[in-house]
Amino acid sequence: MPYKDLRDFLRRLESEGQLLRVKKEVFPEPDIGAAAYAAGQISNGPAIFFENIKGYDKKNVVMNVHGSWRHYALMLDLPMDTPVSQLFEELGRRWDRFPVSPVVVHTAPLKEVIIKKDINIFNELPVFRINQYDGGPYLSKAIVISKDPEDIKSQNLGIYRLQVKDKDRLGIQAAPQHDIAIHLGKAEELNQPLPVAIAIGNDPIITLVGGMPLQYDEDEYEMAGALSGEPTKIIQAETVDLMVPAGAEIILEGEIVPRKRAIEGPFGEYTGFYSATMRQAEVKIKAITRRKDPIIFENLYIGKPWSEHDYILGLITSVTIYKQLKAMAPEVVSVNAMYCHGLGTIISTKSRVAGYGKIVGAKLLATPHGLVYPKVIIIVDEDIDPFNLNEVMWALLTRFRADRDLVLIPNAPGSTLDPTGYPRGLVTRMIMDATTPVPPDIPLQDLSLVEPPEEAAEWMEQLKLMGK
Amino acid sequence: MLCPRCDKDEGIKFFEAPKDRSWELYRCQYCDFVWRSTEKDYIKNKDLYHPNFKMREDEMSKMMDKPMVPPLKKR
Repeated sequence: MPYKDLRDFLRRLESEGQLLRVKKEVFPEPDIGAAAYAAGQISNGPAIFFENIKGYDKKNVVMNVHGSWRHYALMLDLPMDTPVSQLFEELGRRWDRFPVSPVVVHTAPLKEVIIKKDINIFNELPVFRINQYDGGPYLSKAIVISKDPEDIKSQNLGIYRLQVKDKDRLGIQAAPQHDIAIHLGKAEELNQPLPVAIAIGNDPIITLVGGMPLQYDEDEYEMAGALSGEPTKIIQAETVDLMVPAGAEIILEGEIVPRKRAIEGPFGEYTGFYSATMRQAEVKIKAITRRKDPIIFENLYIGKPWSEHDYILGLITSVTIYKQLKAMAPEVVSVNAMYCHGLGTIISTKSRVAGYGKIVGAKLLATPHGLVYPKVIIIVDEDIDPFNLNEVMWALLTRFRADRDLVLIPNAPGSTLDPTGYPRGLVTRMIMDATTPVPPDIPLQDLSLVEPPEEAAEWMEQLKLMGK
Repeated sequence: MLCPRCDKDEGIKFFEAPKDRSWELYRCQYCDFVWRSTEKDYIKNKDLYHPNFKMREDEMSKMMDKPMVPPLKKR
């Protein structure tokens, strides 16, 4: 494993010139959110480490830890300027090592301080409002761990937004498509609380797998081991029967209160819009375990793409969908689900039969992520790189016939965060099959591609030399 | 204290900065809005709070549950 914890990764970022320390005093609002947004707008922007938060002693904040492809490459221990296409391929290769079982350890720095009385999150973490009209401070990059109440071997890790409402009370977005909503539903049917552990400040691979749309019964710790190359170290939580990442900075332990919903939000989301305020579930925190001060509070700026959110989730969502689709449709070549958390997804594939692109689009809807997210789905031939939008647009404009190749699925499930939902949570899904028609479909009028001149490659080299 | 978001007189001070008491945190007991004394006036002042984000009682009662609460299972 390249990094044992967040601190280890931050050292690497700093040694590569990708971490900036802010030593001057900053206000929780608006400074941290503003600086984190700015870092995301700079090409290869650095992680920002705030050393001096007004009102706090020995509490640090770090933002933009995953916020560039350079950081992504370093997270995988690859050369810093590895192209995105190679990151995609490397993640695919590492996926094939799944599952790698975690190892249980019995001591970890996160047990240095154990708090079971007078819980006060505000004492432990310098939480802050991220975007100006968020309903309060948020934990936006925390890993929430829970178990299926009917199958205690089935544990889930996920990144769900958490609104810090009081000293020991959080709002949680457990959207119906998330695994934790299945856990919560089963607990609530029995009127039982759902125990949760919330891990903050994790090694970067743990955060990555927390955002992966794996199958319900697939274990994120086993995936983390596959992606990092070594078993993940986990440790028993203090007051709940859950295993937590041993490298974390701080763990909040508690339970989701059964059958209660309360005002949550709004919150600036990945669509670039504030989400609506809804009545969502709440977590009661009953214990905190953490490292000794100074601890590092890692959080995420989220808003109009691109932001750190898109780096963390875009590529790993693409790889996850690719692997799941490939198992159903071996002809699939590549997947780009990087736009608005996969609301737009582009798939390249060979055609097994006429009209096959439409079937590939339908298979996408059968994946865990496909349940609500992809609504603009573009299928292209294998000669098109879905990560090259110029090529995708060319395919759409020269191969797609709206009368034959467009599939609309009205009144289909959609993300409640999608502002086009009408009503919220219901959208029209669209598959645009931009693959070249194959028999017995009607062929395109022109089939002869303009090939590049044979001498072009040689000329390219010559021109490069002339330009130096 | 008046909540800048829902205008109800339900705001309470519930936390002070651990260092130098350099700010206070307030929470609305009705709508759970949280704000800090060092934030900009348009966050703290109900008359300046953005109308798109104001919280009205009649709207709150109609808000969607996410996720829906399932029926209780018969034991």
